[in-house]
This record gives sequence, structure tokens and C-alpha cells, in this order.
Amino acid sequence: MTSFRQLSETRTFRTSWFSHRINLKVMMLIALAIAILILLMLWAITLGAVDLSIREVWNATWGDGDRKTLLVVRTLRWPRIATAVVIGMALAISGMLFQSIARNPLVSPDIIGINSGATVVAVAWLVIVRNTSQLPLAAFLGAILTAAIIYLLSWRNGASPDRMILVGIGVASMTQAVTALILVRFPLEQIRPAVVWTMGSIYGSTWRDVVITSLVVLVSLPFAILLMQPLRAMSLGDNVTRSLGIPLEMTRLGVILIGCALAAVSVAFAGPIGFVALMVPHMARMIAGPQSGGVLVFSGILGGIILLLSDTLALHFLPVVLPVGVVTGAIGAPYFLFLLYRSNSRM
Amino acid sequence: MSYLATDNLAIAYDNHVVVDGMSLQITEGTITTIIGPNGCGKSTLLRALARILAPKQGTVLLQGQDIHAMSTTAVARNMGLLSQQAESPDRITVSELVARGRYPHQKFLQPLTKKDLDAVDKALDLADMTSLRDAAVDELSGGQRQRAWIAMLLAQETPLMMLDEPTTYLDVAHEIEVMQLVRRLNREEGRTIVMVLHDINQAASVSDRIIAMRDGRIVADGSPDDVVTIEVLSTLYGVHCDVYQHDHHMPRGRFCMPRSNSNCGACLFAPSRPGFAVSELQTGYGKRVISQDLSLTIPGGLVTAIIGPNACGKSTLLKTIGRLQKRAAGQILLDNTEVSKESHRKLARKLAMLGQGALIPDRLTVEDLVTAGRYPRQSVWQRCSLEDERMVEWALEKCRLLELRDIPVESLSGGQRQRAWFAMSIVQDTPTLLLDEPTTFLDISAQIDLLDIVWQLNRDHGKTIVMVLHDLNLAARYADYIIAMKDGRIAAQGLPTEVIVPEVMQAVYGIESSILTDQATGMPLMIPLRGM
Amino acid sequence: MASAVAAQSEQTPAPVRRAPKSRTALMFIGLLVLAGLAALLSLFSLRFGSLPVTTREAWDAVFRYNVDSYEQTIVREMRVPRTIIAFFIGGGLAVAGTVMQGVTRNPLGDPSILGVSAGASFGVTTAIFLFGISTPAQFVWFAFPGAAVASVVVYSIASVGRGGPTPVRLALAGVVMSSLLGAWTSALLLMSEQTLDLVRFWSVGSVAGRNLSVLWTMMPFILPATLACLLMGHQLNVLSMGEESARALGMNTQRVRMISSGLVVILTGASVAVAGPIGFVGLATPHIVRSIVGADYRWILPYSFFTGAALLTTADTVGRVIARPSEIQVGVVMAFVGAPFLIALARRRTVAS
Repeated sequence: MTSFRQLSETRTFRTSWFSHRINLKVMMLIALAIAILILLMLWAITLGAVDLSIREVWNATWGDGDRKTLLVVRTLRWPRIATAVVIGMALAISGMLFQSIARNPLVSPDIIGINSGATVVAVAWLVIVRNTSQLPLAAFLGAILTAAIIYLLSWRNGASPDRMILVGIGVASMTQAVTALILVRFPLEQIRPAVVWTMGSIYGSTWRDVVITSLVVLVSLPFAILLMQPLRAMSLGDNVTRSLGIPLEMTRLGVILIGCALAAVSVAFAGPIGFVALMVPHMARMIAGPQSGGVLVFSGILGGIILLLSDTLALHFLPVVLPVGVVTGAIGAPYFLFLLYRSNSRM
Repeated sequence: MSYLATDNLAIAYDNHVVVDGMSLQITEGTITTIIGPNGCGKSTLLRALARILAPKQGTVLLQGQDIHAMSTTAVARNMGLLSQQAESPDRITVSELVARGRYPHQKFLQPLTKKDLDAVDKALDLADMTSLRDAAVDELSGGQRQRAWIAMLLAQETPLMMLDEPTTYLDVAHEIEVMQLVRRLNREEGRTIVMVLHDINQAASVSDRIIAMRDGRIVADGSPDDVVTIEVLSTLYGVHCDVYQHDHHMPRGRFCMPRSNSNCGACLFAPSRPGFAVSELQTGYGKRVISQDLSLTIPGGLVTAIIGPNACGKSTLLKTIGRLQKRAAGQILLDNTEVSKESHRKLARKLAMLGQGALIPDRLTVEDLVTAGRYPRQSVWQRCSLEDERMVEWALEKCRLLELRDIPVESLSGGQRQRAWFAMSIVQDTPTLLLDEPTTFLDISAQIDLLDIVWQLNRDHGKTIVMVLHDLNLAARYADYIIAMKDGRIAAQGLPTEVIVPEVMQAVYGIESSILTDQATGMPLMIPLRGM
Repeated sequence: MASAVAAQSEQTPAPVRRAPKSRTALMFIGLLVLAGLAALLSLFSLRFGSLPVTTREAWDAVFRYNVDSYEQTIVREMRVPRTIIAFFIGGGLAVAGTVMQGVTRNPLGDPSILGVSAGASFGVTTAIFLFGISTPAQFVWFAFPGAAVASVVVYSIASVGRGGPTPVRLALAGVVMSSLLGAWTSALLLMSEQTLDLVRFWSVGSVAGRNLSVLWTMMPFILPATLACLLMGHQLNVLSMGEESARALGMNTQRVRMISSGLVVILTGASVAVAGPIGFVGLATPHIVRSIVGADYRWILPYSFFTGAALLTTADTVGRVIARPSEIQVGVVMAFVGAPFLIALARRRTVAS
């Protein structure tokens, strides 16, 4: 019994107006994950066609070095790596929010239909309008619009998560059908960029992308952490939630808004990247314990690590360069199947 | 002669032994009932007898033959099981359901023969379901649905029938309905019956033989008179029970009532607070109206129990006054304030509700669960104040959970789990507590355990308690005030001695009953006359 | 005592539905009418399309074929095969969906749940990529192994441990398997432009341009599997009462599950090979049929077959008519018919997850 207590060591900090319980294990894991993430970023930035040492990278980052090195480090590599990290965070956090609200480990923004909404608009934009500059905005609007439609269609005395999943699957299959229709109606060379986009990639990210995405993540994160407290109580069921005085629909709407904003911004800049949102929250919970604000942050950082690793793998370590979405799917899914196998056989 | 026998039977899940070295014989033409506390292995034993589970060791012999050496069809022609997990498919009619019981007698692709149809008709007739043969099973009352399933079992035409808790969820009238049918099948049709029952008194009223189990072993085995005794019940459940022998009633037999640890039974008469004042309330879901023009007062500072048959609207009333469910019309005042005017958080500081159908997330410990109950008292900055900590300790201690605080809720026993949920409700520190069937699925000792805590909270801390209770005798013992509902209306209300009387029982449940006096408390004790 | 029980049932009267004198006869007539309707809709499929054809020409093309008539050749060579294919695929998918829903006792059961469609797609894409095959007749031989392997993996992952393959476990493993195969399929498409060009037409779900040889390749699979499924009604009836009740009635539930899953794999694999993944027929049809026929799978299955056949043939005809002179693929039409159905289903009641 005592060993169990030591395992989940918590400390309580308390002053006259402030009192919180901090889980030391989770805090240490977060620190560890941040350290790993920084090392990983430094390593990833040395990789590529131009061979650079860590020192050269470091200097170039702060504006010291020849023009070519500066261009490679500051305009090509940093934005891409930063985008990977931020998008990974956004996906993981939004996945965790959706999973805790739906009380269903299967749910993620890709399953609830948001990605397919962004996809259909983005594909139409690329194939019909043929304009790449406003693409993120179009995809973002597509995602938000789809989310709103799903929410409204599932409203009936409140939007129950189960209903949202089903409505989401329905809406997604319609938008997927439209996407497929667009793809067969236009000549191959016209649809090719659209097909690449639908696989999820972070080619050619710019600082603008990094600024916008990190702004969204930074604004959402505090709200997401605050919402974890009522979400914890909400995992006990609707009746318990109500009797604890939590405004159920408002909290749900808040979580959905934040989750959608995060998912939409990531699909807007990177296309639909599968499995990060589904899988990383599981990994985070497995390592750090049941959901809480700390575990949410940990899950975000883990998302950054995973997406950066996948992108690095896709870019440098495979015989062909693949979009990162293909790598997360092809590697993430077997891992998930393995998790499933293990959890089944343990029961 | 013994129809079914086991020889040194042991059943284990993984390495956890549930039934241990059981040898027993079931005699042909008798009703045998297996009773015991939660988790004693009684349902597991029944499922092993029915060949649903493979034993770890030992054999089950059907007329001397090992059932695992027989074909599944041969077993199914000789014994049938009404599982607790039986589900009626959507839109199925009673006669279709009953016809499915013919499965073991049919060959592949063979349509229903004359013989099958006759068996279905006979089964419907025996279960008294002929008039409902074309009704949809979903639309039946609980008792009728259970009778339809028993008819399915009858169509299987097996000499041995096994029933796994056939009366769960049923109110006292429906219980009698099902038990009468079981009795008749045994007495008139000569069927051998093996049942698992939750309720000792039900078992005593219907059985020829009772097998009492605890921790996977047999504690006592014999006629109701042998088993329903103070000594056996005390070893079985760990509580002292009063046993009543009622010879001058029909049926003659034994009836037991567990003793409480608190000195409950002395009614308080003076409400200390206004409590709930409900006027012209309409409750329901969407378009479905359950109660209309409901006006009542629930006294503050007392223990009030709401009783009534299945689907009478008692849980809906409780949820509506606790604002878990929207009302369609009317007014609800709690201590003179309109409930709907309060903010969510403010209301949660005034009343707490222990409902049904709560979920248990993975790996949540008892302490985490109880702490979650402090939510309405916490702010963004104050997440773990000294007051929070003090209340959590108090609630854990009150519900005797201190030892279990770091155990995941999912691995608790039923009684412990219910105490943990109850602790979560009381840690909210509200003057009013609403409890929706807090004792369902608990065995008698766990029931008494929980209600004793409820009692203390009222007497020591002056909390207003409103609870929906299934068991009338527990309601009579623990409540100061009883409200009896029927068809969405209030049929009777008042002191237990005014409500628990034969006339009210007849009006509310439609049953004949006889009222004794509870030796422990002096409160009324209702014994249904089962007319068998 | 008997009067006491009678009084009980009087107090709580349940709505009594009067049964028709001979329900079986009525159901049989209904089935015939439905079959006639499906046949009629198939004839419409011959008559309507991007090329205007008179009823007479369509009739002659079938019964008095004149090789010299362009219109008749179109009907005979293009529309007859695709109509027959749509008819049997629609029926087959509907029956497969019904069996899935019966076996998993999951109202959202669909052949795609076991990852069958995704497996077949992956098999076909790989074959196009590696061997450059291009006709549906060749697709069949790669769709099957894909479908079979995917569903075996899904089934075995879902059934390890205690409790066996529950609906939730099956769905979870199926969704993950689908995403996995989807990612691998994407990688292949990215590497080969030709593959992409072929697969995009196939993966939208269409029966256009399939000729009779395709029909002959797939019939040996679809027909026997459909027939076998139609004979499973009795087993599904008992299985739908719950695992324990079915076993207590002496059913070998494991074996029934294995056989029916195998049949579903064959049906779905063959359909996907020929027409690409077409959703919603398997999901929607059983629900529609159950609301009319009731709970007896011996009737639900044949009704599902003809309803699914009618649904897909009509969807195909509609897709050809609304976008003249080109056409909208039947997979897209089905999505637009089926998705609102799913949404309505989700809104109407709480579907147990």
C-alpha cells in the first residue's frame, strides 16, 4: 500500500489564496520530455543535404555564418522543425481533449470529421481555384465550418458525444465522396498537388506558419489546462457532472471549440496527419497516468517529439521522401494495434 | 435421484479461484436456490452447471454423464438457462422469442414443425403469455418481459431449468408474479429448477432447498428452515439477522431482516428546515409525460424515502428536484429558494446527488474519486485547500474507506464501490442529499452498512436525506417520512407506520401483505403473501 | 391464483398487436413484390443513362438483339453487365452488412468494420503498383487476400484474452487497421503516377465500364456466399439473444462467428474488387429492412438482398442521369444517400456504442 503512494508522489503547495496539488512524477516527465525535444530539434537541424555541425547551426541560428548556411538554417530548416513540433503539440492536445470529452479512446479529430471537411475545401482550392497562397485559410475555414455543421446536426437536448461521433462519420463520408469526385473529374497533373496535400506534409513551411500555429497553441493551452479539472469530473458520467455543478453543455462547447481550433489550425498548415491525435494521448496516459493538466502538457510535448521524429524519418532516413502523414500512419498504426493486442490479452 | 451433480468442481478466472471444490447433487423435481453475498461465486457456479464456463477441475454430471463430453445440443435438450445477460432483439414479438427456444430441437434449415409450434403454444400458455403472444417484447412491463423469457426457456422443453437472478430490477409485485410462475412450473409440470437469487426472503418463500455460498464454498445446504437461521445468516453475511417464523400466514415459512448497527427506527417528527416544496410539477422526457400536477412537501432535516412500483416516476421525480433533469412545468423550492434560479455551482453547494449509471474511468483511485466531489467548492486558484483535505479525510473515514484510499475504484467490491460513490457525494458538504436506489445490487450486509452511514449523517449532521428505495422494509426502518408513488402520482405519504399498511400496499403494488413488527426497531415489517 | 395473475396483466396492459392470419404468406408475398420492384428498377437502369435510348430499343437489346444498332450495342455491352453487377454487389453487400450486424450485435456493423474494404483496397493498389494490372477481373485475385489478411489480423487482435471479440474491440481494431492500410496505400500512390491514375477511378466506387468477363470472375464467389448467408438466418436469430443465451441453447457460437465472418470477407472482397469500396449499402439496408420486417433474420436476409440490389441499381442509374453527358460514380451517390441516413439514425435514438 505504501509503495503505491510513493509511486504517485504528490506535493501540495498552499498559501492563503493559492493551493494546488502537483504530481512530481508528471512534472519530472515533462522536464525530461522538454529536454529530449530540444536535443532532438538540435540533432534534426544538422541533418540534410548540407552537412552542418551543431556549432555551425547554433551560430547560424543567432545570425552568425555565411549566407548559404544562414539560408539553410534560418529559412529552410528551423521553420520546418518548429512547424513539426507545434503541429504535433496541437494535434496531441486536441486529441486528448476530444478523447476525454467523448470518454472514448477511439475518438480523434480525424475520426470526428474535421479533417475531411478541411480536405474537401483544400482539394477544391488546389484543383479548381489553383491558388496556394490562401490555402491554409481555406482549409481552416473548411475545418471550422464542418465542425460547426457536425455540432449543429448533433444538437438535440444537448450535443451528446456519441451522437457527434456518428454524425461526424456521416458528414466525413459525404465530404470524402466529394473529394473523390473532384479527384476523378480533373486531369492527373492538376490533382497531383492535391493528392500530396491529402497525405499530410509540412514541406516548405515558413516563419509565418510557425507564428500563426504557435499563437493558436499558446492561446489555447491555458484554457485547455483549466478545462482538464471539470473534464476529470466529467469522466464520471453526465449525472455526476451535473450534480457536481459543472455546466455540462458549456464545458463541452468550450472543449470542442478549443479542440477544433487546434485541429483546424494543424490541418490547415500541414494537411490531415493521421494517428498523432489518436495515439499520442494514449502513450501519454500510459506513461504519466490518468488525465490531468500536467498530463495534457506532457501529451503535447510528446506530440511534438513524435511528429518531429516522423518528419525527420520521412525526410532523411527512407529511400524515398514521403509526406510525414504517411509515416505517422504506417508506423503509428502497427504500434496502436500492438497496444490493443496487449491490453486485450491482459484482460 | 440426482439429475445434475458436480464432483469436486473448481472454477477460476486466471488464477483467481471463484468456486472451490464443490460437490453437490440436484434432485429431480425440486426447486433449489443458491444464495450468498456479492462475489461469493453463485452466478459463476450456475454458469458452470449450464456449460457456459469450463471448470478448472472436476466435472458436472448430467444424469451421470460429463456435460463437457456431451454434444452442445444434447445438453441444451436437457437443461436450459435464463442468463442475466439475455438481451431481447429489437422489435421481436413474444411468440418469436419463445420460438427461438426450439433451437436445440431443430435441424439445420428445418422450419418450425407442428411439434415445435405446439411446444411454443404450450410454453406461452404455461407462462400465461398467450394473450400477449404478438406484443413486442420491448413494450412489456418488467414482470411480463421476464415471463416471456421464461416461456422461451419452457419451449426448450428441458426437464431442468436454471434461472440467474430472474427478479433483479423487479418490484415486489413483479417478483411475486415471476416466483409464482416458477413455483407452478415445478409443482404442476414437475420441472427441476435451480436459481440464483439475491433476496433471501424470496428464496425462503419458493425453494425446497437453499444452498448458501460464501467465498466459493458451501456454508449451509438444506431446507429454508435449516438455512434461514440466525447462525447461518451471520456466517454468510456477517450481520446479525432477526428471523421470523410465520406459521399462521400463507405461505408458512421464514422471513429474515438484518439488524442495524445504529439505533435507527425512532422517527423524528419535526422538520428542522423547510425542505423541498414542489408545486404543480410536470416531469418527463421530451414529449413523454411521467408526472403531472405533482405537489408535495419533503420535510427538511429528516430522512424521506420514496417508494413505488417500477416505472412509477420515483427516480424521475428525484432527478427533477435535483435538477439533473429538466422539468416541463411547475415550481421547486429548496429551503425557500427556487432551484432553477441557482447557478450550477451554487446548487451543487446546496444539494448533492448519488445517482445510478455512473462511469468508472480506468485507474481512478478511491481518493481521486472522493476528491472530485470537492469540485463545486474549488476555484481556479484553490484546488486543494486545507478544508478540501479535511473534508476528504472526514468522508473517507465516515465511509470506512481509509484503508482503500489508494485502490483503483474498478477493483473494489460492489459494496465498497457504492460507499466510495457515497463518499464523493457527502464530501460536497451539502445540507441536502438525494440518493437514487443506493442499495441496488448490494447484499444485505452492504445495504445495512450504507444506510447506517446515511442515518448517522442525518442524525449527527442534520442533513436532509431524500432517497428512492426498492426495499420497503429498509425504507420503513430508516425513513422518518415515506412517499409512495404510483403511475406518476402520489398514492400515500406519511410516517412509516401510516404508509406501510396492507391497504396502501394493495393500492400501490396490488399485493396482499401482512405487517409484522420489526423486533429490532419496532417499525412495520411487510411480508408479501405470495399466494402459492 | 390464476385470477390474480390475470388481474396483474390487466393492470398493466401492454399494447397488443394483432397478427395477420398468416404472417408467413404475407411476408412471402412482400418478398415477391420486393423482388419484382428490384427487377423493375434494374430495367430502368437499362433504359436510362447518359445516352438517350428509347424503351423499345432497350427492350430489343435484351430480347431481340440487333448488332447494327448503336443504341442497342450500348445497352447490351455496357448497361446490361453493369446493371447485373450493381444488382448482385448491392445485394451481396447488404447481406454482408446484415450478417455483420447480427454477429457483432452492433447496430453500426458494416463490412468496413473488420477492415475488409481497406484490406481489399490495399491488395488491389499493391498489385497495380507492382504488376501493373488494370482490369477488375485481375483485381479480384488481389482483393481477396488483402481482405482476408486484414480481417484475420483484426479478428485475432480483437479476440485475444478473456471476453473474446466484443463489438467494441472489433470496431477499434478495424478502424486502426483501416488507417494503417490507408497510410500504406497512400505511400504507394505517391510513388507511382500510373497507380494513382488507376486507383483514383477505382477507389471512388463505380460499376461503370465493367464487362461480362468481370461478372464471370466474381459470380463464383458472390453467389455461393450470398446463398450461404441467406441460410444463416436461424443461427443469427439465436445469436441475437446474447452470447450466453445462444450457448445455453446449444449453439457453438465460436463456429458460427467464424463461418459468418468468412462469408462476409468473401462477399466484401469480391464486391470491392469489382466496384471499389462502396459504403452505406451494408449499413443502411439492414436498418431499413428491420423496421419493416421485424426481428426474424430468416426474413431480414432475403429482404436485405433485394433491397440492397434495388438501392445500388437505382443509385447507379441516378448517378448516370443527373450528370449527363458524364456520370457521377455510384460510390458518391451512395454516400449522399447513406450519410443523411446515418445522421438521422444517430439523431433518432441513442445507438449503443
